[in-house]
Amino acid sequence: MSGIIGIFAFDKVWKASRFIYYGLLALQHRGQETTGMAIGGETGINMYNGAGLVDQVYNENILEELNGWYGIGYVGALPRENQPSLVREGDNEVALVLSGRIFNEAELAREEQVKHWSNQSELLARLILKKSRGDDLKSAASEVMRMINGVYTFIAINNKEEMIVARDSTGLKPLVAGSFGFDYGVFASESCAMDVIGADYKADVNPGELYYLNQYTVERKQVLKPNPKYCAFEYVYLARPDSRINGVWVYEARRRIGEILAEKYSIDADVVTGIPETAIPFALSFSNKRGIPVELGFVATGRKTRTAIKPSQFERLVGVQLKLNPIKPVFRGKRVIIIDDSVVRGTTTKNTVTLLRNKIGAKEIHVLIGSPRLVSRCPYGIDVPSEDELIARHLNDDEVAKVVGADSFHWISLDDLVKAIGVPRNKLCLKCFGG
Amino acid sequence: MKVLIVGGGSREHAITYAFAKSSYEPRIYAISPLRNPGIEKLCKESGGELIRGDILNPEKVSETAEKLGVDLVFIGPEEPLFHGVSDALEERGIPVIGLNSKASEIERSKAFMRRLMWKYKIPGRLRFKAFRSIEEAIAYINEYAESVAIKPARQVGGKGVKVISDVQAYLRKVKEEVKKKHTELIYEKFMRSHDDVVDKILIEEKVEGPEYTVQCFTDGKTVKPLPIVQDNKHAFEMEMGPETGGMGSISGRGGLLPFITEDEFKESVRIIEEVVKALRKETGTSFRGIISGQMMLTTLWGPTIIEFYSRLGDPEAVNVLPILKTDIVDISEAILSEKLHKIRIYFEDYATVVKAIAPRGYPNRKDLARGHVIRVNEEKIKRMGAEIFYGSVDIVNGKLITGGSRAVEIFAKGDSIEEAAEIAEKAVSYVESLDGWGLFHRSDIGSGVSLRRMIEMANLVRSVYSYRKSKGLFGKQIDWIPGRGKIGYEF
Repeated sequence: MSGIIGIFAFDKVWKASRFIYYGLLALQHRGQETTGMAIGGETGINMYNGAGLVDQVYNENILEELNGWYGIGYVGALPRENQPSLVREGDNEVALVLSGRIFNEAELAREEQVKHWSNQSELLARLILKKSRGDDLKSAASEVMRMINGVYTFIAINNKEEMIVARDSTGLKPLVAGSFGFDYGVFASESCAMDVIGADYKADVNPGELYYLNQYTVERKQVLKPNPKYCAFEYVYLARPDSRINGVWVYEARRRIGEILAEKYSIDADVVTGIPETAIPFALSFSNKRGIPVELGFVATGRKTRTAIKPSQFERLVGVQLKLNPIKPVFRGKRVIIIDDSVVRGTTTKNTVTLLRNKIGAKEIHVLIGSPRLVSRCPYGIDVPSEDELIARHLNDDEVAKVVGADSFHWISLDDLVKAIGVPRNKLCLKCFGG
Repeated sequence: MKVLIVGGGSREHAITYAFAKSSYEPRIYAISPLRNPGIEKLCKESGGELIRGDILNPEKVSETAEKLGVDLVFIGPEEPLFHGVSDALEERGIPVIGLNSKASEIERSKAFMRRLMWKYKIPGRLRFKAFRSIEEAIAYINEYAESVAIKPARQVGGKGVKVISDVQAYLRKVKEEVKKKHTELIYEKFMRSHDDVVDKILIEEKVEGPEYTVQCFTDGKTVKPLPIVQDNKHAFEMEMGPETGGMGSISGRGGLLPFITEDEFKESVRIIEEVVKALRKETGTSFRGIISGQMMLTTLWGPTIIEFYSRLGDPEAVNVLPILKTDIVDISEAILSEKLHKIRIYFEDYATVVKAIAPRGYPNRKDLARGHVIRVNEEKIKRMGAEIFYGSVDIVNGKLITGGSRAVEIFAKGDSIEEAAEIAEKAVSYVESLDGWGLFHRSDIGSGVSLRRMIEMANLVRSVYSYRKSKGLFGKQIDWIPGRGKIGYEF
C-alpha cells in the first residue's frame, strides 16, 4: 500500500515542496510507515526520506531546503521501504516513486545489467536512467513500461526539468491528473490530494497511459493497450471517501454498499453503527434506507491510524483497541447492527462483539460486512495475510457468527459489490474476494 | 477599390479572407513584418500585394497607404492602434477601421479601463488596485492580497498575467512569495520598457467561471456584436499548462455558446455599450472599429469584464469572419459614416472551431520555438472541409519557418461544435514539423467532455449570481467583523 504524488510547475517561481507536503498529508491513509519527497530545481534533485507520519517527518526547515519547482512524493505502509529512489550516473539523475508491484524484477535487472537495487522503485529508476542516457526520458519510460510485468503507477523526474507519469494497462492502482490554474500540473493516487492543495481534478490517467511534462509540453501517450482491472478493494476500504477514482466517487460506492446491505438483510434492530472510519458511510446509508437510527458507536484514542495496513499483528491489535472505545449508552440493552468494511482473521470482530455483549450488555449483535468474503491473497501488493489466516476461506457465515459471538453475520455478495461500485465486472479486479 | 490590411497574423489572414470574399472585389494590400503566405496569396489573387514593413510606425504605414492610394485601411493588431497608426491615417484623410490612440486606451491601460467602469458604475466591474511602483504593490500584497490576478497595468500582448487562488491558509506563505516575485518580474520584464502609462502593476480580485469573448463592430454610437466565441488559454490538454494567446476557440450556432444564455449575451453587449458611451464622454473622440469584451461569467455579476480589446481577438476573429455573410466593405462603410445602426449583419448559421498549432517552446520559450521548418498540406485540409489561416510564420527561401508564436490556425464549421471540432482535429494532422522539433495543439478543444465541463461550471456560477442578484447583492459586500459589527460596502 502506498500513495504517490507528482507536481510540475510551468513557472519556476513556484516552490513545489509545500504542495507535495500537503498532498502527502491527504494521501496519508495509503501508508503510514515511511514518507519521502524529491524536488528538482536549479541545483539538481534534492531528496528527503524518513520513517513516520508526514507531519512527523518534515518540518519547516526541511521543506524550505527542498528547493525547486517540480517534484514527487511518497507515503508507504511498509517499514524500511524508502521512496523516492534517487539514482545518479555521471551528471544524470532520476528520482522515482512507485506504487505497485513488479513481477519480473530479476529479468529486468538482468536485461539492463543492473547489479544493485534496494527496492523496486530503485530498479525502475535505474532502468529509466540507463535507457534515457540523460536524454529522452519519454521514450525510456515507454520502453520500461513495455518491459515491466506488473501492476503499478509511477512518477519520475530527472535533473533536466522533466517528469513522467505512468499507469500500467490494468489501472489497478488509481492515479488522477489535475492542475492549478496556469501554474502547475498535478498527479496523485487519489483526487483528495488535489482538493487539499487547491488544484482541480481533470481526469484519471488512463490504464496504459504515459504523461510526459517539461516546460514546453504536456504529452499523453497510450503506451499499452488498456485492459482495466480496477481494484475493488479501493472502493471498500483503501481510498478516502472524498476521492473520485476511475470516474467513480468512492463515497457513492460506499453508500450503495450500505443500501444493498439494508435491502438484503432485513434484520430488526434498535440501532446501527459503523466501525470507524471506513464503515461509517455504510452505516449511514443503511440507516437511511431502513429507518433504523444510526449512532456514533466508537471513539478513537490518539492519532487516526489505519489498522488493517499496520505491518504486524501486534500493532494491528493495539491500533484496533485504541480506535474502538465503545460509547456505552449506545449499546446497553439494545439490539445492535454493527457494520465493518472487512474481516480478515476475525479477531478484531470477535473482540468487539465480546466487549459489546459481555461488558456493555448489548442484547443482540448482528454483524454486516461491506465487502465480500476475503479468501485470497492480493498478488498486487495489498497486504492481505496468507490464505490460511483468512477466516472467510475456512468457515461459513453461521460458523463465523459463532466464532465471533454474533447473533448473525453476513458479507455483501460479490455480485452486489460489483453493482455498488457501478463498474462493469470485467473491469474490476476481485481476486482477493475469489472473483 | 483598394484596401490595406495592417498586420500579418491569423487574425489578419481572416480579415483579408473576408475582404477577398467582398462583392466589391477590392484590390487587397497588406503590410506586415513577416511574409504570411495566406495573406500574400489572397493579396496577389486580388491584384494587390503583401508589403513587408514596420506596422508600429504611424508615418510609414500612412505613407504606404497614401502611396498606394487605398480607399480603406483595416488594422488588425492592438499595438499599431496604441502607437497612433489610426490617428496618422485619419490625419491624412484616409478612412480607417481601427480605434485611434485615445480610444484604444481602453485596452492599453487596464487601470484606465477599471477606473472608467467604476466612475460610471458599469456592471461587471471588479475590485482592483493600481500601483505606480513595485514597493507600493508589494506593501499591498504583504497586507491584503488573497485570491488575486496580478497584471501588468498595460496591455503587453496578453502576457504577464498571473492568477493565484489563495484559499488554503497553510499554503499562503508560498503563494505570497510567488505574488511578490511575479510583481517584480512584471515590472522588470514588461513595464520598465513601457513608459506610456503611469500605472505599472494592477492587482484585481480573482474571479472564476467560464470565459468568453464578445467582439463588436462599433462606430461609437452603435455596438453590433459578432457571434460569441470562447477562447482556450491553457497551452496543453485538459486545461493544463501556462497561459497562451489562445490555443483554439469555439462558437455555437445562433451566435451563442451552449453555456451562455441569451440574456447573459445581451447583458454582455449592454456592458460594452455602456463602456463605449462612457469612453466617448471621457475622451470626446471618434470611435471607428472594433471593441471586444473579454468576459467571464462570475458569481459576482454574471457577465463580468476581464479585459477589453480594441480589436478582434486572435483566434476569435478566425471563428467569425469566415462565416460572415454581410459584405465587410459595407460594414466598414457603415462604421465610417456612423450608420452602423442602419445595417444588419448576417452570419452563416454554423458552429465553428479554431485550433491553433504552435511549435514546442511556445509560449514561454519563443526563442526555442522560432526558426523551425514546417509543411502544410492545404489541399488535404480543404478536402477535409477545413480552412487554414497562417499566423506566426515566415517564408524564407521558399520554406515555411515558424516565428515563435502560434504558427497556423485551422478553422472548421459544422452543425455542432463537436462536429466542427472533429473536422478541425483531423485537419491538424496535415500540418507537420519537418525538422523533428515538434508542434503541439489541443485535441480537447470543442470536445463533448470539454463542453460538458463548461456547462457544469456555468450552471454553478449562474446559480450563485442569481442568488446574489435576488438578494440585491450585486455590487455589494456585507461582512461581519468581530468587535466592529456589520460592515457593508458597495463596489
